[in-house]
Amino acid sequence: MRDLDGMMPDTDPRKERVKRRARVGICVIMGAMTVLLLIGPGWTWVAPAFCAAVSVLSTIAATGKLPGRQEKGSGHRSGRGLSACGREDDGPAGSAAHQWHVLVMVSRLMPGPAGRRWLAEADSLLSEITATRRGAAIRSYLRSAPRLVVMMWARDVLRRAWLGPRRPG
Amino acid sequence: MALRLTLQVQLVLQALLRDPAREMYGLELSEETGLQPGTAYPILLRLEQEGWVTSRWEDIDPRAEKRPARRYYCLTASGAVQASAALPGARRPKGAALRRLAGEGGTA
Repeated sequence: MRDLDGMMPDTDPRKERVKRRARVGICVIMGAMTVLLLIGPGWTWVAPAFCAAVSVLSTIAATGKLPGRQEKGSGHRSGRGLSACGREDDGPAGSAAHQWHVLVMVSRLMPGPAGRRWLAEADSLLSEITATRRGAAIRSYLRSAPRLVVMMWARDVLRRAWLGPRRPG
Repeated sequence: MALRLTLQVQLVLQALLRDPAREMYGLELSEETGLQPGTAYPILLRLEQEGWVTSRWEDIDPRAEKRPARRYYCLTASGAVQASAALPGARRPKGAALRRLAGEGGTA
């Protein structure tokens, strides 16, 4: 048993998390150093801002987590997303969860209500199809996303222009 | 802006026109048209903007049903009239376009 344990890959989630954070940290430090080398002395304030922005973006990209989102796969189907209300044949949970996070991130590029609706519809549809068809469906959502983002923002801007600027009070 | 009746738009309109009073949700529509859901969604959104289609969220308890609520789409009265009038005059799809569409993944 002990030998078998030794042959198994190291999948301790805590170690994985530490490794991932270390990789992100190295990327941030190297990025900051590059920025410091490239910019002039009057622009040193860019480095901390760059570090902060890269830290946030890399954390989101590396962990696939967004602030305020519930942890999935805990066995309690109360959240939203593929694993929350999916079918029993969800397939590899990691892959589905990753694709779901990409959809979440794309939805954040759209104006608030439109993005939420797009994501809710995708969630509703993807939870009803089999895992084998899900990949193609997600890819189709992602393919149409850039056009949708432009279309929705254009519509939002036009609506705001039509309504006029908001006045306080 | 006038709605451009592309092949995909025609397919969605035809599916909705089969029974104009019937409400259809995204998966149903993509299965009937053979379009991927990501392709059908922007079309439905445009049709809704133009007032041809109306939509609503299904009123269910997702926990009880063990699935999220569906978004149902239905042709409006004016949309049904306009679609019926526009479809016969629309450009007929060519064989190549149909083959490409089939290759896109008829199964949603």
